[in-house]
Amino acid sequence: MNLSTRMVLVLTTVGLISGGMLATVGILTQKQIEKNKQREIKAAISQVIPGTKDSGILFEEEDLIVYGGNDETGTLIGFAVLVSGTGFQDKIKLMYGMNQEMTKINRLAVLEQKETPGLGAKIASQETFLQFWENKDSSGALKLRKPAASSSELAASEVNTITGATISSEKVLEIVNLSLDKVKRLKKEGRLKKEDGHGS
Amino acid sequence: MAAKSIAQEYLKGLWDENPVFRQLLGLCPTLAVTNAVINGIAMGLATSFVLIISSVVVASIKKLIPSQVRIASYIVIIATFVTVADRFLAAYFFQISKSLGPYIPLIVVNCIILGRQEAFSSKNSVGRSFVDALGMSTGFVLALLVLSGIREILGMGTFLGYQVMGAWFKPWIIMILPAGAFITLGILIAVALLIEQKTKSRS
Repeated sequence: MNLSTRMVLVLTTVGLISGGMLATVGILTQKQIEKNKQREIKAAISQVIPGTKDSGILFEEEDLIVYGGNDETGTLIGFAVLVSGTGFQDKIKLMYGMNQEMTKINRLAVLEQKETPGLGAKIASQETFLQFWENKDSSGALKLRKPAASSSELAASEVNTITGATISSEKVLEIVNLSLDKVKRLKKEGRLKKEDGHGS
Repeated sequence: MAAKSIAQEYLKGLWDENPVFRQLLGLCPTLAVTNAVINGIAMGLATSFVLIISSVVVASIKKLIPSQVRIASYIVIIATFVTVADRFLAAYFFQISKSLGPYIPLIVVNCIILGRQEAFSSKNSVGRSFVDALGMSTGFVLALLVLSGIREILGMGTFLGYQVMGAWFKPWIIMILPAGAFITLGILIAVALLIEQKTKSRS
């Protein structure tokens, strides 16, 4: 066998075997990876709408998904908004839950962020940041308090800024406020409906 | 090549030819992921998995591969196992896979792996290549452990997430930022060279 035939043959064989292996591993892990993602979202929904037993997608577009959370009788008890936006370093993906009237944010959860470790990354920390997002008045836009104050000093529509990570805090606020506006508009226009095939 | 015993083949990866401190290979992941010990360990293990399997595979088919296409073949083999590791982490260690993000696919271009294939596995038996890869992996994991340990303790006051420094301790934020990685690595390499010099001059 001359050299070039051998070269082609070897590379083709190596490629084919690798391709076969990757396809097998891909199929084997696909389900589990999908399940992990679903489970993460489910866990976040029940965290941001306390008492949710069941949830379904009401509205979906790029970077914004609205879930409706139901209690055990199937009554709608709140909305969960999954939204992504630009942070200081990279995309921030977060979810917040509201009551049916959309006048109160129950909780905020950060699902994905690549902010500066030790500074901006604190947006995912319960003690430094997230606890100040519990039970906030969302009838209007939320505002940042700087420098940070204790929970009791904050107004109903105020949340704390993280010391040393003003931009990350502002970005989170911006993502929430923008999506809040949009989701309220969608609700007014009657577009938050359970789509067929998305039944939970 | 002077024949080394199997034990020497393993031990050289830990100190004499430690991939990070002595060969200065694979520094990109070393610097990037060592801001927390858990990330360092996960990265070290994922790299070890790829290195060991690739070395064994390359050593067993080395005679079949014409030298003109050897690098291309090695990269395909390495990339395959990296993707397998990536999918495995995403399926069974979801949180770790999320925090290591884009660094796992980058194992493909980690010089330690291609370097060992070129320098060792393509010239040695399967058994020796396995031991060599095992030694290099141990050396790499240990290096990441030391680096991430120092950075996490000084940068966050914790080790593997557990508080080890008292309340008086004010974390040095710089240690978990990229600059801290360079500073720590520089000091560690200097210390490694110093120890080497001291031991050499004595013998």
